[in-house]
Amino acid sequence: MAEERESLSPTKIGLGVLWPTFWTGLPFKLAFAVLFLAMGMMHFEGRLGLAFIMLLASPVTVFALPIITMGLDSHIGEGAGIGLLFLLSIPIDIWAFGVVGRTFFLERLRREPPDGLGMTLWWKSALVGAVFLPILWVVVGAVTSTGIAIAHSLMELELLKGIPVAERISIELTLWGSVASAVLIVLLLIGVSLVGRLIRSMAQAAPPVSESYQGVITRWDLMRVPADQGLMLTSLTGAGVVLSLLFWATLPVTTPHPHECCKQPEVKAQPPLKPLESLTKNEKVIAQLSAQVDVLEKQKTEGEADKGKAKGKAGKDKDASPAKKP
Amino acid sequence: MEHSSLPSTQPTAIEKVVAFIDERVGLKQMQAKMLNEPVPGGSRWAYVFGSVLLFIFIMQALTGILLMFYYVPTADHAYASTQYIIHDVDYGWFLLSYHFWGSTAMVVCVFAHMSQVFLWGAYKSPREMIWLVGLALFGIVMGFGFTGYLLPWDQRAYWATTVGVEIMDKTPILGDFMARFLKGGPTPGQMTLSRFFVIHVMILPAALMGLAGLHLFLFRAAGPAGPFRGTPEELKAKTDYFFPRQIWKDIVGMVVVFASICALAFWEPVVLLEEATPDPGDYHPEPEWYFLFLFQLLRLKIFAGEFGQFLGAIALPGAFMALLAALPFIDKDPERNIFKRPIALIGWIVVMVSILLFTVSAIINREFLD
Repeated sequence: MAEERESLSPTKIGLGVLWPTFWTGLPFKLAFAVLFLAMGMMHFEGRLGLAFIMLLASPVTVFALPIITMGLDSHIGEGAGIGLLFLLSIPIDIWAFGVVGRTFFLERLRREPPDGLGMTLWWKSALVGAVFLPILWVVVGAVTSTGIAIAHSLMELELLKGIPVAERISIELTLWGSVASAVLIVLLLIGVSLVGRLIRSMAQAAPPVSESYQGVITRWDLMRVPADQGLMLTSLTGAGVVLSLLFWATLPVTTPHPHECCKQPEVKAQPPLKPLESLTKNEKVIAQLSAQVDVLEKQKTEGEADKGKAKGKAGKDKDASPAKKP
Repeated sequence: MEHSSLPSTQPTAIEKVVAFIDERVGLKQMQAKMLNEPVPGGSRWAYVFGSVLLFIFIMQALTGILLMFYYVPTADHAYASTQYIIHDVDYGWFLLSYHFWGSTAMVVCVFAHMSQVFLWGAYKSPREMIWLVGLALFGIVMGFGFTGYLLPWDQRAYWATTVGVEIMDKTPILGDFMARFLKGGPTPGQMTLSRFFVIHVMILPAALMGLAGLHLFLFRAAGPAGPFRGTPEELKAKTDYFFPRQIWKDIVGMVVVFASICALAFWEPVVLLEEATPDPGDYHPEPEWYFLFLFQLLRLKIFAGEFGQFLGAIALPGAFMALLAALPFIDKDPERNIFKRPIALIGWIVVMVSILLFTVSAIINREFLD
């Protein structure tokens, strides 16, 4: 066992620390990510998978992301939430590195974890990421685009032109995909082994643990149990309740992506109904209208009377006129 | 003094209720049985998928019930009611999108869970029955995805179902009956929608609940397999109980999955295409993403023609499923370490890479169709 510990390769050490660290901090970061998405503070276009990997690996991408975004003109999305999320990730990652690093030192390396291990591991890994990841980004990008071009031109050869579309797609994808994946894996392993070398040099400087395996396991086990479990449970529940309330408060009630087919008609709000006022108003209107009707009826009667008089006069004239004729 | 110390010895109302139930159903014994299960080698993140799947199913049932308050399973109103859920019901768009992405999460977790069991060699004796019931559960999850896809009744739903039923039709002996039974007529219509709806909300949930219960019972009877590496001394030193560490990991796993589904619902909410018609128009029919690899496979020249289609759509997947079912009976070697089982490891990598390759090919193929 002791030999196995001594012979742990830098890649194994790097993976043994980085992999659990990525996942330890993720639940907390995801909670903030969902909240920012609900608030509309960040938008991912077509690269959600890449955004997830960047967030998952924030212990090494925290400085690399701005370099890739600004220096290489490539971004994972838009909105102030992305920057804020990566800022919030810093304390979470330091804590995650601390928990995982102490466990790894005790359980796998059987060394006393030094003080401030989380902070030291975080800044060293972030620095390695800041230098290494932009290089990886450029190299893998170049290999992928060259691979696609070569695979495409190979399939354009007269000899291979008769290959049906479905087969052609799969062959092209296999050709450039395997080359790009191989380069990506090799570069990732180099990056991980760089972090592993840093951890190994720290471990070599640390004193070995004196307890038996059972003693180390008990210590490692107790280290993960919070001193005040009630307080931890209460604070976690409280944080969960606050986050849930914030989530439901900020979640859009209607779809943020309305279809063209289903546009909501603009509805103007009706003024509030005041029964007494509207009754009085209506009574006044009715009184006014009935007065108007009275006036109209009066006018009509007078008009008819005038017409009658005029008719009577005209009749008298008619009766009188034949006498004058012969 | 005696009088002041009395209230502290009196049981609280909750304690009385618990004692009442315990006396009748043996609550405390049940709780001890459920939580005090020893986990050899201690709790692990790799073991969370089973609990996470149960959580996703509960959330799917919950969101599904809420959607059913508004959804109308008729050919005349299915599309309009789904549009109504998206555009008019408060938070309806989120519920529908969560339900949609939840089904995807369920398929991903089933794949992850099966992969974990396979790589850990946890299907080997005495856990053959757990593996077989797990395979049946995998079929049910796929069935959920297939039947649920039709319900919005848009072009995507209609044509994915048409393609799926046509593939099913190629099964010898039972295929014709199954296709006619599911369609309920010459073309998908009201009868198809009714049948898919009943299967989706009644038959499959009942089957899943029954089989999941059996799966859990068998798992508890055989006990957890534990890690495939480590000396007996190490395993003994690390052995833990299901509560609290594994439960804590399971809860964190559920939170991660819940947050991921929410993020996907925000990123890509459900947007319907045109209402279903028997004329595909400009739309190129294709199934849900987890069947895309099979769909792309069927586009290969080797699988052209009646026999080729049967070979690609039925014979190959059928043979693969039969191989998975027979696996615990073929592989009797007690060695569980995946790094000492090269055929299993290479086989798993080949299957995963092929699924990935053909799925991405199907996505690239869309450009050629457009």
